[in-house]
Amino acid sequence: MSTILHPAASHYLGIPGVVFGWIIVVLAVGLFGYTIYKRLVLLKSAQADPRFSNIGERLKGLLTFGILQKRQPRYLWAGILHIVIFWGFVVLGLRSLELVMQALGIPFLDPLMKGPFGGFYGFLKDLFELLVLAACIFSILRRAIARPARYAGSHQFEAYLVLGLISFLMVTDMLYEGSLLHIESDARGWLPAAQIAAVFLPQGNPSALKAILQSSYWLHILALFCFLNLLPLSKHFHIITALPNVFFRKLKKGAIKPLRWDVEDIDELESSGAGKLEDFTWKHVLDFYTCSECGRCSDNCPAYAVGRPLSPKMITIKLRDYAYSRYPVFGPGSPSANDAGKDDNESGAIIGAIIEPDEVWSCTTCGACEEECPVFIEYIDKMIDMRRYMVETGQAPKTFNQILMQFEKTGNPFGKPAAKRAEWTQELADIPVKILKDGDEVDVLYFVDSYGSYDPRVQEITRAIASGLHRAGVSFGVLGRREKDSGHQVRRMGEEGLFQMLLEENVETFQGVTFRTMVTTDPHAFNTILKDYPVSFPVIHYSAYVESLVRTGRLQPVKPVEPHVYTYHDPCYLGRHNGLYDPPRNLLRSLPGMRLVEMERSRDRSFCCGGGDIILWHEIEQEEVRMAAKRIEMARSAGADCLVTACPFCLIHFEDAIKTAGLENEMKVIDLMELTLSTL
Amino acid sequence: MDIVVCIKRVPLTQEVDLVIDAGKKDIRKDDLAYILNDWDNYAIEEAVQLKETFDGSVTVVTVGDEEDEEILRRALAMGADRAVRVDPGSRLLDGFVLSGILASVVKTIPHDLVLTGVQADDDNAGVVGVMLAERLGLSHAAVVTRIEKENGTARLHLELEGGMDAVCQIRFPALLTIQTGINEPRYVSIMGIRKAGKKELKVIELGELGLSDADLLPQTQVEELYLPPEAEGAEIIEGDPGAIAETLLRIIREKGVNV
Repeated sequence: MSTILHPAASHYLGIPGVVFGWIIVVLAVGLFGYTIYKRLVLLKSAQADPRFSNIGERLKGLLTFGILQKRQPRYLWAGILHIVIFWGFVVLGLRSLELVMQALGIPFLDPLMKGPFGGFYGFLKDLFELLVLAACIFSILRRAIARPARYAGSHQFEAYLVLGLISFLMVTDMLYEGSLLHIESDARGWLPAAQIAAVFLPQGNPSALKAILQSSYWLHILALFCFLNLLPLSKHFHIITALPNVFFRKLKKGAIKPLRWDVEDIDELESSGAGKLEDFTWKHVLDFYTCSECGRCSDNCPAYAVGRPLSPKMITIKLRDYAYSRYPVFGPGSPSANDAGKDDNESGAIIGAIIEPDEVWSCTTCGACEEECPVFIEYIDKMIDMRRYMVETGQAPKTFNQILMQFEKTGNPFGKPAAKRAEWTQELADIPVKILKDGDEVDVLYFVDSYGSYDPRVQEITRAIASGLHRAGVSFGVLGRREKDSGHQVRRMGEEGLFQMLLEENVETFQGVTFRTMVTTDPHAFNTILKDYPVSFPVIHYSAYVESLVRTGRLQPVKPVEPHVYTYHDPCYLGRHNGLYDPPRNLLRSLPGMRLVEMERSRDRSFCCGGGDIILWHEIEQEEVRMAAKRIEMARSAGADCLVTACPFCLIHFEDAIKTAGLENEMKVIDLMELTLSTL
Repeated sequence: MDIVVCIKRVPLTQEVDLVIDAGKKDIRKDDLAYILNDWDNYAIEEAVQLKETFDGSVTVVTVGDEEDEEILRRALAMGADRAVRVDPGSRLLDGFVLSGILASVVKTIPHDLVLTGVQADDDNAGVVGVMLAERLGLSHAAVVTRIEKENGTARLHLELEGGMDAVCQIRFPALLTIQTGINEPRYVSIMGIRKAGKKELKVIELGELGLSDADLLPQTQVEELYLPPEAEGAEIIEGDPGAIAETLLRIIREKGVNV
């Protein structure tokens, strides 16, 4: 048994080490607490957001996505490195506590660590020290040599600093334990990290060993508290906020948040949307704190991929940098002091100052960013809130004026008369389409929506669906002139009042008719009626409904499809937002002669066609290539010569892209219903 | 600067197959959606912009029933301060009667400037503006595409026929009829319109204005409404887009247009 004193029990210049321990801990924890308090000030000044529902589901997500890090390996190598470091933190947390408590002279863990658990734990923490050190070195080399493009614009210095600091923590503990191995005579089990360190230490020089023992211990303690204080000042705040952020994640994908969670009557609101930082909800501010700048969002963002001015990661980074400068750790207590003397409307305005309007209009709300984010940062609701602000303050594109007026006056974006809404039925001479009146009863209420009703190309899909329903003997009807636009686009353009108007009229009409199922042409309409309408209706997209008709034998595909190699494009609002990946694929596989290949980006990594809202009425000038053109290339490289989709907007964009590229002879696009109908 | 803007609610007729009613003096309007007359939208925007730059007030006036208040609320949401609706009951209105009613209302409102649209999208008569100026004894300018206010006067850009423009000077008070394109009218959201419901909207019954029967007697009347007979001479150009464009260009040149 050695007589060497623990570094905290030693005296330095006559002062006990414990005194230094207390000074370090009190200062560091005090400073950390103060910083956190400042971060909470902004969080508290943000808007209400109810995130305490479905605790069971939230805990499950916390386990799957937080503790088990399920989304990390979507980027395999980076994911593995992160999981190693994360689990290293979990395992080494106990070690840090042990060392800190020793520094305070309250070594309550020591008895435990001297027992059998200590032996096992010593091995485990040593193993993880080596793993974490290796992961940090790999990560540093990856950043410096491989330079993944998705890190562009991230705070690289912070990344190196923190990786360096973590490595330093590992090394100091290894040196501490290594020198202890030489000094203490009794065997302490297998300590791989310490044993490796011991090789490099001067075994025969007790005073040098003592110096190394003491300095590595105190450096470790100091580094630990530097690290702690660095967290809330950097992108590494996620080490603290990520688990809460996962717990408080948005559960209802595809839905758009109301104007304000805490105000039911929108007429009582003085302003609309997010024009300044404090207009975001507290969860959205927590998102800013949580971003680790990994860039997976932007790497999957179709707008970013085609050179539009939007990078989701930069939205978060810019807003966080702004938040930290508006609520500085050392500075005025509240930003109102900073705003003194400025015009009320101007102070803290983010649009035009921090975020450019076209960054916000570039988003197609496809949800690829949110699907990818390992810590569930939200973008769509923030985009819509900023759009709401721009619409309300007259900063939306002028082209919207006419379109929104037409939505309001005629219930469709074209300004076509409601009386012509069911004109598409005229070309279905032998198929009766019932126009439903109040009190009518049908199995299927077919919600056609505006494009399905008026756009000549989409009308063909509408007629194909009506024909399919008729062939299956389904009793169905449409609402004709009483149907209004679903409001998907209006809501995502940021005109909430108009959306409420449209939905109220639709809800009233729906409630006047008795139906078992509502079937839509458009995935967007399906999503909006399902997720955005305050009344619950049994709504389903036609792909899933027709699949069930085929499965139950009511429709029988018998004729072979045209001989093509087919591939299926997942529409965002069918796939990512509603998880309907398989019904359309099952339907496709049930068609005789089907040769189906998958694109590399399919299912939850599907690449948006350009979208069904803003792109129709606002041109983003900064764009290198159309999203649809890029998608057509993806289909071609998968070896397909026929692209199948189940969304009218995808179809329109793809047909355009094929024509623009002059690929009419090499590539075809067809709607799933048209294809199905051709086999009956 | 106090400005009065006279506005009108008109049917949205784009894409509509208009049907003449049984009396053959009007079209069937039961299926039509109604909107703020496009020219008036620009007039309101111009007034609000002038007010925002030079202070003062904007009052909007319309002659119509309760449903027409919708356009007044829209104008209030755009930034007008007050709104007045004159209820004409079941009176027949032509440009003469309408300008008479408007004159008797506008007279009671302090104004440096009265704005109307060039014309309304329903009958396209384009007479109310200038008739109103005559009745109010105001100097006026028609088809205004730009207003630059100076002290007590304004430099105006006017659109003339044949693609010509004129620049002139006018002394206030004055009446201007506003052409589309003079500005970019702002969007007002449904929320904004609802909020504007709190602003003042005054309703005046026709009887309160003290107009005589002669004042309210229309000077024009519609005899019959009919679709123009199908004429001959339509030429359908066929071919690929390039050839069609060539042919079109040749025809346009032949008709004497310099392109």
